[in-house]
Amino acid sequence: MKRYIPLLLVFVFGILGIIPFIVPHPVVQGTDEFLRNNLLKILAAFALILGLGSLLRVHYDKIRRKGQNWEYSWVLIVTFVVTSIIGLFGGVSGTGILPTRIGSFAFDIWTIYFNIEVPLGAAMFALLSFFMASAAYRAFRARSTEASLLLVSAFIVMLGVLPLGNEISPHLPSFAQWIMDVPNVAGQRGILFGVALGMLATALKIILGIERSWLGGGGE
Amino acid sequence: MKIIDILTKIDRRVIYLILFAVVTLPIIFPSAKSIRVMPPVEKLYDAIDNIPEDKALIIDFDYDPQTLPEIEPMAFAILRHAFRKRIKILALSLYVQPLGLAQNALISVSEEFNSVAVTSEDSIIYGRDYVFLGWQPPPLIPILGMGESIVNVYKTDYYGNQTDTLPLMKEVKNYADVGLLVSLSSGDPPKWWIEYAQNRFGLKVGAGITAVSASEFYPYLQTGQFSGLMVGMKGAAEYEEQVENKLNIKVRRKASESMSSLTYAHLVIIIFILIGNTGYFISRRKTKSSPTTPTGRPR
Repeated sequence: MKRYIPLLLVFVFGILGIIPFIVPHPVVQGTDEFLRNNLLKILAAFALILGLGSLLRVHYDKIRRKGQNWEYSWVLIVTFVVTSIIGLFGGVSGTGILPTRIGSFAFDIWTIYFNIEVPLGAAMFALLSFFMASAAYRAFRARSTEASLLLVSAFIVMLGVLPLGNEISPHLPSFAQWIMDVPNVAGQRGILFGVALGMLATALKIILGIERSWLGGGGE
Repeated sequence: MKIIDILTKIDRRVIYLILFAVVTLPIIFPSAKSIRVMPPVEKLYDAIDNIPEDKALIIDFDYDPQTLPEIEPMAFAILRHAFRKRIKILALSLYVQPLGLAQNALISVSEEFNSVAVTSEDSIIYGRDYVFLGWQPPPLIPILGMGESIVNVYKTDYYGNQTDTLPLMKEVKNYADVGLLVSLSSGDPPKWWIEYAQNRFGLKVGAGITAVSASEFYPYLQTGQFSGLMVGMKGAAEYEEQVENKLNIKVRRKASESMSSLTYAHLVIIIFILIGNTGYFISRRKTKSSPTTPTGRPR
């Protein structure tokens, strides 16, 4: 029973997810709308709580076991609790019941977001350019014909997307665009077809109960 | 030190320092150069420009602080275009993180217009000219639900107003009243709009994406599923060029200013790759020409 109920639910809701794309009948469309706007929202709320609970549990366990870099788990838990309290009781822009301002010092969610999250996020991503430059210098070698072709294409696209490319030759941006439009699309389309067929096969296997590894407890 | 060592063993800190210098100097001394507009951006500009008067533009803000420098200039340029042409705008996010960035873009650009507006007709008024619908999880709900009824999915807007009381929402009921949706994203959302909203409801979709993810979106442009495409900082700069040239809106062009940093950074990377390869070929030639042992290994 423990195994059959989840399998039955996946089968029923999997089929219900496909039918509205094929059958335009108002009853089918109405059912689909009800499921999406009501059931799915409740499921999403549960998933959010489960996700947050799981995240906190993982970090709590790490602190308890003194796992690698366990100190950072404290940072996560403390910031999670503090921002949750501020967000829940202080309101997003400081309009809640909890005061989020001491003199000119504000600590409402938007202030935290724009002064901590935005600069930290941008800084993390900006660091990538340095690593990419260093990695390109060390690893991007014309060791074979294929690697040489990749190298030449990369140079053309890198120059072609710049205003400088147009100054070198007006044909360079067009050639860079052609590389993106033709050889790139040919390769990408092949990958897309492969991925789509794979997804279709996997989805069917899950809906029909052939693939059951998502149930946990081994392959049976 | 041998030449081969100089070429192949440049300290990474030297690379970092040079890259830092070439990226920061043009930011300290900005100058916006003229940009050649390529067909994908031209198509997107035309698609927005040709939205019928009775239809709205939906802008899906799905970029986060990490990709803000690349995608925010796109958002600003599109908002300027739409507000100037008096195209009605619905703004939303499929994720919670971009909400603040979306609000910032909407308020900044509407204030630009309102600061020079003389009459109410010239002004950009919330509820009449644009509505910020906010965030509704999970993404599938708004993508599919708005095809039937937008106010049913977003019963309140981002600021807590009842959406059915807003004048704009009385005109825009579902995708039938939408001329185009532009997804400004650093991930997969532009594809979701095609897979669900376009396939089922025939919604026209355009996109603004990061340069790093560009290659996987081009097939959708070639098939016509995307009405236009903006790629990375260069795409944003091209759109800024269009807005300045065709609509005569002269404001600070952040993406165009950043093109100098991008140019020098690309050149530095190309030069370092060439240096690395020169060292590699010299060392390979040396290895080939050096006498070998009976096992085939160099002595």
